[in-house]
Amino acid sequence: MIKIFIDKDPVEVEEGTTVLKAAERAGIHIPHLCYHPAFPPEGSCRMCLVEIEGFPKLELACSTVVKKDMKISTKSERVVEARKAVLEFLLAEHPLDCPICDKAGDCKLQDYYDEYGLFESQFKEVKEKREKKLKIGKTLILDQERCILCTRCVRFLREVTETQELGVFHRGVHSSVNIYDGATVVNNYAGNLAEICPVGAITDEDFRFKTRSWFLEKRESICPLCSRGCNILIEYHPGFARFEVPKKVYRIKARENPEVNGFWICDRGRYGYSYLEEGRADQIILNKIDGENVLTWENISEYLGEKIKRLYSAKKATGIALILHTWLSNEELFLVHKIFKEDLKVEKIFFADPPQIEADGYLLTSDPSPNIRGALEIGFDIKTVDLDALADGTDFLLAFGPFLSGLFSLGDLKEALDKIKGKVLFSYYSNELNSLFDIVIPVALIAEKAGSLTNVDGIVQSFQPALEPPGESLPEWKVLADLGKKLGIDSKFFEKFTSPDAILGEMGKKITFFQEKE
Amino acid sequence: MKEKVLTEHFGLENLYKIDVYQKQGGYRATEKALKKMSPEEILEEVKKANLRGRGGAGFPAGVKWSFVPPTDKPRYLCVNADEGEPGTFKDRYIMSHNPHMLLEGIIITSFCVGINAAFIYIRGEYEAIALRLEQAISEAYEKGFLGKNIVESGFDLDVYVHRGAGAYICGEETALLESLEGKRGNPRLKPPFPASVGLWQCPTVINNVETISNIPHIILNGAEWFIKKGLPKDGGTRIFGVSGMVKNPGIYELPLGTSLKDIIFKHAGGMKEGKKLKAVIPGGMSAPILTADEIGIKMDFDSLVEANSMLGSAAIIVIDDKTSILDVLKVVTKFYSHESCGQCTPCRIGNSWINKIVKRIAEGKGKKEDIDSILRLASNIEGNTLCPLGDAAAMPILSITKKFRKELESHL
Repeated sequence: MIKIFIDKDPVEVEEGTTVLKAAERAGIHIPHLCYHPAFPPEGSCRMCLVEIEGFPKLELACSTVVKKDMKISTKSERVVEARKAVLEFLLAEHPLDCPICDKAGDCKLQDYYDEYGLFESQFKEVKEKREKKLKIGKTLILDQERCILCTRCVRFLREVTETQELGVFHRGVHSSVNIYDGATVVNNYAGNLAEICPVGAITDEDFRFKTRSWFLEKRESICPLCSRGCNILIEYHPGFARFEVPKKVYRIKARENPEVNGFWICDRGRYGYSYLEEGRADQIILNKIDGENVLTWENISEYLGEKIKRLYSAKKATGIALILHTWLSNEELFLVHKIFKEDLKVEKIFFADPPQIEADGYLLTSDPSPNIRGALEIGFDIKTVDLDALADGTDFLLAFGPFLSGLFSLGDLKEALDKIKGKVLFSYYSNELNSLFDIVIPVALIAEKAGSLTNVDGIVQSFQPALEPPGESLPEWKVLADLGKKLGIDSKFFEKFTSPDAILGEMGKKITFFQEKE
Repeated sequence: MKEKVLTEHFGLENLYKIDVYQKQGGYRATEKALKKMSPEEILEEVKKANLRGRGGAGFPAGVKWSFVPPTDKPRYLCVNADEGEPGTFKDRYIMSHNPHMLLEGIIITSFCVGINAAFIYIRGEYEAIALRLEQAISEAYEKGFLGKNIVESGFDLDVYVHRGAGAYICGEETALLESLEGKRGNPRLKPPFPASVGLWQCPTVINNVETISNIPHIILNGAEWFIKKGLPKDGGTRIFGVSGMVKNPGIYELPLGTSLKDIIFKHAGGMKEGKKLKAVIPGGMSAPILTADEIGIKMDFDSLVEANSMLGSAAIIVIDDKTSILDVLKVVTKFYSHESCGQCTPCRIGNSWINKIVKRIAEGKGKKEDIDSILRLASNIEGNTLCPLGDAAAMPILSITKKFRKELESHL
């Protein structure tokens, strides 16, 4: 660590760091447009110029490495004037079409103008005319007039995807970003371009003109669409109190995590968010009940507890079968393991996950479920459902997840399940699969509950609810903790589990892998 | 003592052929340097000679070479023959008249710095000269001055000619490297400097044609002789390229420190019939303009800096009283607006903006505030750009606008 002075205040910073990063650490934001922490400094926007004692010129904060006792001014008159000048240049050739720009409210050019600009335009000349609506990717639109040539997009495609679909063409004021010979951006990370564009030059048709960014709340979550566990922001419209605007998820963005996904997410994770809202089950469904009428989870849990208890007392636990999946959190899988494997000694435990996909060699893995590693660490042997083995001698089936229908035809499923007397399903969705079960209980997705997941590299990541679960949906950890209590085999054990945190704490005591991971 | 160094034998027929060159004592410097001197001794001699870069910046060549760090990576020499600075035409004379002198300089420099591959980056328009260089290179290979085990010294060197594609910015050393690597010619952020991280990320020396061409003469005659040819802190002669409204435009090799007045009126024959001197651009278009009463100045690096101008590429552009300064400004701003690479904001947009204002003034639509706008915008470019092109544009624009403000205002 060395001491430097930023705006006269002494600051201890890491040796070898840059002025921009050191300032950021000290809570001082130095405006920048071309600099992005994922790439080496580019130095082209000239927004981050600062004054350093002993240097005749203003120096770049993004690339200048700190030296012992360096005295840096980030707010001196000279610095502010230079920033103003850069903004004046950028805005001179900018179309200023903010009212119809998707990036409005989420635009660095707007933010910096508000902070350092506020001048009257002196530009009396004719602005350059460029392409306003170039389709450069499946859902990407490039507006060359809004582009400030920070080249973040070009560098992303050069350094991250190494696909190089974009380049800078022409020279001087005619410089513009474009694709080569009509070949559009085709890679599984294209959506990141709209996100790293600091202005409204690259926008995404998936989001364009659907809402205004300032209505959206950014909620932290983890992408469940593969075993990478990329950190994401779910951008959610919470609705208006006085107008009929539905609550809705509008887009997914990457959330920085250097250990897991860096600054990026793949397009599968970005655009595949319809699973959050489409076809969700929001109430308990009773298709067939033997005996009393049950309507609430409270009643159902009593009923299930009794049912399982009876089988257990009659030494008929062998007649119980279980279908699990690895969208369940560590805590949920742990509770299942305790109740059914340890206490009830159930042997027929199968998994029904979405079928394997092709990994892309970067973030996207071949497992389209987020917690396979967690299931393995907890002690499950991941056996895919075998319908014959499942139905053979089974009296009672507890099935979790909607993924059975992706593995078998409805006819085959019906044939097998018809052989089982009692069947209960916990599912996210309302679909034909539900008709095969006696009771269907709607449950919360990862985005709607708390818990933790173990990603492909063994990193345990906790998450909190980002969205409200629909209707009567419950988180499975709650369902399982209730069931554990109702069973009465080891009720005390389950009583303390009032939150996933408490469960993870217990897991740390029991499983070495989860020690100190809560 | 003979006056000329670089251009001494230029009148000689077929000097560009190796036999003729050798008859004039050619390649003696190579033999001396590679057989009788150590790289350290050569470096010492070049440092003592105070040979400053002839491309424009005037950085001492020996010091530049000594910045090359001791690494295992290959090292490269790039000879900057892009000669893009408007008004400059000295390097083309050297390369077309005496290519072997340049090759000798390349060989000795490479031997001194430990380089086994050298590139001559020549502007695309110099096609005939590039062919002549290639001819000279193949002659040198035949005679054993290039290739393996040069003059049986154990030293190997290959030289390649690379033609540019017509961008002013590729004369900037880091843009030159990008272009040579096959990329868009955009300048790189410095540091790191090319001496440590240059061509293909390897240590690289970049020198101008004229700079390198001085090396064999320093080796043959010594640093003391070289300094006597010029000034103590600024050794050797300089090839001044005089253009514009003079009787005899052309190149004039003269000692550093010769007065501008003498160059124009003694050597270049004075103003053309009926023309009066109005202004002089003393060091290529980027150099701040001098008015007619400033021409008593000595033409060396330090004297011109003192006069708030620069020696640059020593290209002297002589402007007469009939030439409208607005036309001069129009040419200057059009050029920089056209040649800005577009990478950094102030240069990309600032130069275009200024050019748009100047064009509007020339169309008779000037506004009272335009002159102040030009000054303000040029000041906002100066010192704030990624590479020296921003300053190269702002300096002449500022000096022309300040020194000839009254004349410009008469167009509003």
